[in-house]
Amino acid sequence: MSDISWEKPKNLEKRKRSQRLKFLTAGVVILAAVLYLLISGTLQGARYFITVADLLPGDNYKGQTVRISGAVDGETIDYDSENAVIQFEIVNIPGEYDDLAAALHEALLDPTAPRLRVRVEDAAMPDLLQHEAQAILTGALGDDGIFHATELLLKCPSRFEESTGPEGLSKIPEHQ
Amino acid sequence: MLAEVGLASLTIAFVLAVYAALASTLGARNHSDGAIVSGRNAALLTFPALLLAAAMLVIALLTEQYQISYVYEVTDPRTPALYRVTALWGSQRGSLLFWSLLMSLFTSAAIWLNWRGERRLMPYAIAAMMATLAFFLGLSLFIENPFERWWLLPAAPLGEQELSSALIPAGAVAPSESALRAGAQGLNPLLRHFGMVIHPPMLYLGFVGFTIPFAFALAALASGELSTGWIKATRTWSLIAWIFLSLGLILGGRWAYDVLGWGGYWGWDPVENAAFLPWLMGTAFIHSVMIQEKRGMLKLWNMLLVIATFSAVMFGTFATRSGVIESVHSFARSEVGFPMLGFWAAITLVALTLLLWRWRRGELQDEHQFANLLSRESLFVLNNVVFIALFIAIFWGSFGLPIISELFFGVEVTIGAEAFEFFVVPLFIAMYILMGLAPLSAWGATSLARLGMALRLPLVLTALSVIVLWASGTSLLVSLLGYGVVLFAGYVALYEIYRGAAARRRSLEESWLRAGLALFRRNQRRYGGYIVHLGVTVIGIGVIGSSVFQTEVQHTVARGEMIAVRDYALRYDDFIRAQAVDGRMMNIAPVTLFRDGASIATLRPRIDDYAQMPMTIAGAHSTLERDFYVLLIGGDHERATFRIYINPLVNLVWWGGILLIIGTVIATYPKALPARQSRKREGARQQSAQPLPPQEGKKSIVP
Repeated sequence: MSDISWEKPKNLEKRKRSQRLKFLTAGVVILAAVLYLLISGTLQGARYFITVADLLPGDNYKGQTVRISGAVDGETIDYDSENAVIQFEIVNIPGEYDDLAAALHEALLDPTAPRLRVRVEDAAMPDLLQHEAQAILTGALGDDGIFHATELLLKCPSRFEESTGPEGLSKIPEHQ
Repeated sequence: MLAEVGLASLTIAFVLAVYAALASTLGARNHSDGAIVSGRNAALLTFPALLLAAAMLVIALLTEQYQISYVYEVTDPRTPALYRVTALWGSQRGSLLFWSLLMSLFTSAAIWLNWRGERRLMPYAIAAMMATLAFFLGLSLFIENPFERWWLLPAAPLGEQELSSALIPAGAVAPSESALRAGAQGLNPLLRHFGMVIHPPMLYLGFVGFTIPFAFALAALASGELSTGWIKATRTWSLIAWIFLSLGLILGGRWAYDVLGWGGYWGWDPVENAAFLPWLMGTAFIHSVMIQEKRGMLKLWNMLLVIATFSAVMFGTFATRSGVIESVHSFARSEVGFPMLGFWAAITLVALTLLLWRWRRGELQDEHQFANLLSRESLFVLNNVVFIALFIAIFWGSFGLPIISELFFGVEVTIGAEAFEFFVVPLFIAMYILMGLAPLSAWGATSLARLGMALRLPLVLTALSVIVLWASGTSLLVSLLGYGVVLFAGYVALYEIYRGAAARRRSLEESWLRAGLALFRRNQRRYGGYIVHLGVTVIGIGVIGSSVFQTEVQHTVARGEMIAVRDYALRYDDFIRAQAVDGRMMNIAPVTLFRDGASIATLRPRIDDYAQMPMTIAGAHSTLERDFYVLLIGGDHERATFRIYINPLVNLVWWGGILLIIGTVIATYPKALPARQSRKREGARQQSAQPLPPQEGKKSIVP
């Protein structure tokens, strides 16, 4: 009797321990796989998100895939629809701003602000590519001094935007 | 007048919400039934107050009250009536009010359904819901007030004469009606789309809906009522929130596909991801909650998940609204960002502190241990691990990496769509495999041999399908593998429905139809869940088809010339310039589409010009098999440039979405309303024991 009463819990404990070990192993394997995915994906896909001013001096970023942001100069936009090539210039936007529309407007008025020519191949002409839009581009600066972009995102806050106040409301005041 | 009434009702709703939160908390702590009932009544009154406020804003939008600066910003004299109404959520200030209105509606519904059944939980649940509502109403009142009006201060220096203010500043006069009408901006053209009309409300309903389970979880932690009561009270709410969140995400994708003109529906943009994160956490929760119901396990984990889901909702709201996160969806940096971040941090901290306190007191102990790696509960836990891993990967890529790199290295590092795909594709494969395995395993323990037996038929069907796909020309190994994994999950769902119906047929000698219907009626959640799995399978097939096999070309042709793409040909027929009723100029290029030489459709891709802002509207010929999607890039009467996308199986993404919603509705549809059930039970008890029920205000809620 005593043998039986001692054997059962031992087996049960052993089985529990082996189950726990299985769960632990599975957990460690999953954790390692997820960590591998995260680390290798980050290392492969990471891009510095910098300004035009960061990109231009020296050769620090030449040839390296980066993301840049700049204000679109509307007068420089050229779309070759036959070959689906867009070219335009972007101007550096100062780092800190509260109102994007105002920052874009001021950046384009500054004659000393760093400028960069951008070329996007095989692209449809985006609706939002216009003067004072913010362009966010992924690509690399080539030896020709042109930024060859593979991805182009645009934000256009100048119109349909809450922060813009009414202009000319005070011209014809209506007295209460 | 409209602005004054709106502002007054908004203020009253804010005061009511603050009072309800305080009265409910104090009432529960001091066991004061009077305070609890008073708190409940105040909470119920927030809905009519907010309904009145929202009605005032909608009337102002419809009747063109441009002095109200919100109306001025989102409409103009040419805006059609439908978009005047939907402009309520067209921009930050109106949508915050709309958010609060939905929150108060959900709170009222939760009180109506759960007041009698969950007496101990309700005061704290009301307090949590009202604290959240009070926070959002505070934002509306003090930072983003939708009832601000334009004023002129003639005595002020030049440049400071125009002012938007909720209260009338001293010496102010109203601007002229004509100047206001002339300057009104109109709704952003990107938002003038059916998808955008219902996408935001659906997303908000999803976000707001997850506040209810969170409030009940918090109430369980605060009151110590940690049995499965809070889970039962919130099960339906979680599913309702999940339906709306899913619908919001699907409609958002559809809007992007129709309006943004890049032939895709998901771009891994941070704001899109911010809405996807609560969905992932919520999906993990609605799965793991079943383990607590069936086996009394994962109590701590479920609490953590529900807190994390709400936390993700708050973070998503912050990400979408603050403008702090760099995204194509965000424009101005709003003042609401930091208060929202503060509220998010505070509420997450409070919830986690309560959870830690209860856990250390040993009140969240599981009733069973995990016994077998292949048991259904273990596979559910694995499914949770996959969803959490997806959550971490997407959060890391969208927010973690950019924020940490900026903080510690002074330069922001981001990742592109390809890196997101690298993270998520293996995890989605794991999700589909688990979707196939879990329904076939048993609670408690399953042997490998038994699981293998159950898997035979779905695996054979999967193998046959892959062979058919390969024989019909799908040669890419990756896509065959993808289709295989996705189809496997779908076949298991179908097999389970078949097995259930066959068992009923055998034992009860029912017809297939009757057996199938009875199956769904008797076990809604299980079989509704299988329909959801089928929906996810159909979406998976659509995603693989449209992303791996997309064709994209751009050509310029003279009028009358053709562009040939695969088995299609497109003929440029004409160029029309016309003005629409709302004032926009439309440049339309009608084209004839041929397939295998036969004319199949006339499409009208066009560019709409909304005063300085062009909008490219695609022409599409949709079949279940593929979409032919053509954009007019530019042109005149002589020549035009077209960009053409052929997106195979893309419509399965939307059809799968519909299936997913139908499945969730089946799973959620109440057999009987809980409050009614409880009333019936109470009624029966009272009839037998207590002929005269005590007055509500004097009932004790603490047994």
